[in-house]
Amino acid sequence: MKKPRPILFALLLAVLAVLVFWFIRGFAPERIAGPGEAPSPAASPEAPVSKETMKATLFFLRDDDGMFIAETRDVPSTGSVTADAEAVLAELIKGPTGGLVSALPPETKLRQVFLTKDGIAYADFTKDLTAAHPSGSDAETATVYAIVDTLAFNFKAIKKVFILVDGEERETLNGHLTLNRAFLPDFTLIAKS
Amino acid sequence: MRNVFGRGFDSRRLHQIMMPHVRYRGSWAAALLLAAVCLAAVLPAAAGDQRTIVLDPGHGGLDVGAKGKFGSLEKDIDLAISKKVKALIEQSQAYRVVLTRDKDVNPSLENRAAIANNNDALVFLSIHVNGSFRKKAQGSETFFMSLNATDEESRRLAYQENREQALDKSIAGADKDDIKMILWDMAQSAYIKQSSQLAELIQAQLNSLLGTANRGIKQADFVVLRGVACPAVLVEAAFISNPEEEQKLVDEAFQDNVAQAVYTGLMRFLAAYGKN
Ligand SMILES: [Zn+2]
Repeated sequence: MKKPRPILFALLLAVLAVLVFWFIRGFAPERIAGPGEAPSPAASPEAPVSKETMKATLFFLRDDDGMFIAETRDVPSTGSVTADAEAVLAELIKGPTGGLVSALPPETKLRQVFLTKDGIAYADFTKDLTAAHPSGSDAETATVYAIVDTLAFNFKAIKKVFILVDGEERETLNGHLTLNRAFLPDFTLIAKS
Repeated sequence: MRNVFGRGFDSRRLHQIMMPHVRYRGSWAAALLLAAVCLAAVLPAAAGDQRTIVLDPGHGGLDVGAKGKFGSLEKDIDLAISKKVKALIEQSQAYRVVLTRDKDVNPSLENRAAIANNNDALVFLSIHVNGSFRKKAQGSETFFMSLNATDEESRRLAYQENREQALDKSIAGADKDDIKMILWDMAQSAYIKQSSQLAELIQAQLNSLLGTANRGIKQADFVVLRGVACPAVLVEAAFISNPEEEQKLVDEAFQDNVAQAVYTGLMRFLAAYGKN
């Protein structure tokens, strides 16, 4: 009875390796989850089994000097970075509750967020982001960094942010800042205290 | 950074051509003939020796730029100011001026930069007025190109060592035809220092002539500046999105002041750094 053991062990290892490979492969593609896909039962926001929330920090503009001021809000959390990032950006688009100024046109809608293995989040918006944008280099800079800083501040996994419009790269939002590249956050734009 | 500005206008050459009239004083016909020959020879030569300043009025066509509460559009003000700067520069007769657009059209951002390079421009000035989500946003600022982390990465890939010197040499030494129609990605990275000096001198004039809040000189990754192979800045004169400043911007006298500020800053830059 002792002889078959190593064979069984090897078989078990092989099966395990295949399982692990499948598992990793399943998660390797850049998109982890998107709103267009049927959500898996475990992560479904519709299933009110466990209503988790996260504290989201949203950046809006102070009218006087254009510095970012944080507003914190509870948003539903699934534990998936991309799904949570989508919830946080949707909240950012809703705008501030106090006397601050939003740096995104209210008409903007988020299509989806996806994340690459090296920490670049692709935030894909409808073309309202540019069509309803007031233009001007000040407004463009504010929009880009409200999105980039909000994502990078809330999610450690997000190192840089690439902004897409209708699923595609744009040269600029409205003629100034180079948009077709990944942005590092600039936390110096956040007001001290 | 020697020879970046190329040759200046050679006045000695003009003298050599103009002086011989003394010898031919006796004959009116010969003098007239000589005058005609001189004019034919000197005018194109002088024009050929003039360096070009490229002015870039922002936006145009369907791209109206930022909008004011009273209905004024950035593209119209950008063009009006640019034409005023052009007139001031041309008064001095020392430089040729090329506008990237002189009517209500919208050349691509790459084409605007390419116009500067194709004309072997001495300086490139992009003229804008600002727009903001904030009603209180006000003041004037001057931008030059920034090299952010992402750019640094792509630069490192494209040019392993001392790109500045390589680019500098190719501009100074190569036949001009060799660099025509070429638009380097990030060509501006070789001119960051001069562009910052230009920005500083223009900003100082904006501050003293306009009375608008000083937003200082800043760096940003603007598409229109990236490919420009000469000192280049983008001027943001006041906020059209601020109703008070919008009313200033549509005022002819204020536009004259913006043009004068840009012109004076440019001339100070050329006086300090533009002569060989
Ligand atoms: Zn503009």
